[in-house]
Amino acid sequence: MTASEPAQFTLVITGAPYTSQAPQTALHFARAAIAAGHTIDRVFLYGDGVQLATNLACVPSDEPNWHRSWSEFLHAANIPAVACIASALRRGVINEEERARYERDASNLAPPFQLLGLGEWVESVASASKVIYFQGGG
Amino acid sequence: MTVLIVIDQSPYGNWSGREALDMALSLAAFDQPVSLLFTGPGINWLRKHQNPAPIQQKGVNRNLAGATVFGIEELLADQAALQQYGLQSDDLLDGVAITEAGAGLYANYLHVVCQ
Repeated sequence: MTASEPAQFTLVITGAPYTSQAPQTALHFARAAIAAGHTIDRVFLYGDGVQLATNLACVPSDEPNWHRSWSEFLHAANIPAVACIASALRRGVINEEERARYERDASNLAPPFQLLGLGEWVESVASASKVIYFQGGG
Repeated sequence: MTVLIVIDQSPYGNWSGREALDMALSLAAFDQPVSLLFTGPGINWLRKHQNPAPIQQKGVNRNLAGATVFGIEELLADQAALQQYGLQSDDLLDGVAITEAGAGLYANYLHVVCQ
């Protein structure tokens, strides 16, 4: 691949915001990739990374809000974003459908994230996309 | 596209290994070739006779026993990790192949996912 040849990326984030650097590093990578003319076919949150998709995080106003920054970026760039449903349910990140199914008091999945299965990730792995992992470490 | 999922952390200290195993099972369910490598503290996944009942967990060895049935191609144990933990091949679950983790092994796979 030469520098001028556009690539397609899938970003997998497995580290949680405010625990790890993973979501902000991934966002910086995503912005740089789009700016350089590459495409991102999907952002996939897995494991602790699903914490990025809650809309109940209340971040102090003088700190960067990675939840809001990611949502705004995904909307603006029109990139599909998925939180793994199995990871999300375990960690209390649920949409309206799951709220009804499990009879909980509230749902908290931030748009534009959707709750879908690992099959979404498998599709990226099996495609021509370069799949990049942003992990929490240790 | 053959995928190698690397599990390098001990089985009961955190949940990420179980979610890595779910990734492998998911690939297998969609008929994508996938193998698992256990290295570092992750080698302890492969021990026979695990009893995590006192800590209210299910044994990961039981998850692995069905791995090949569900289409995971290989369970690989890193030789160096076996030595580090004083394990012999007799201590390991059935169906595990011993290998040397490193660039030579990873070169056989197009996609390597770490835990």
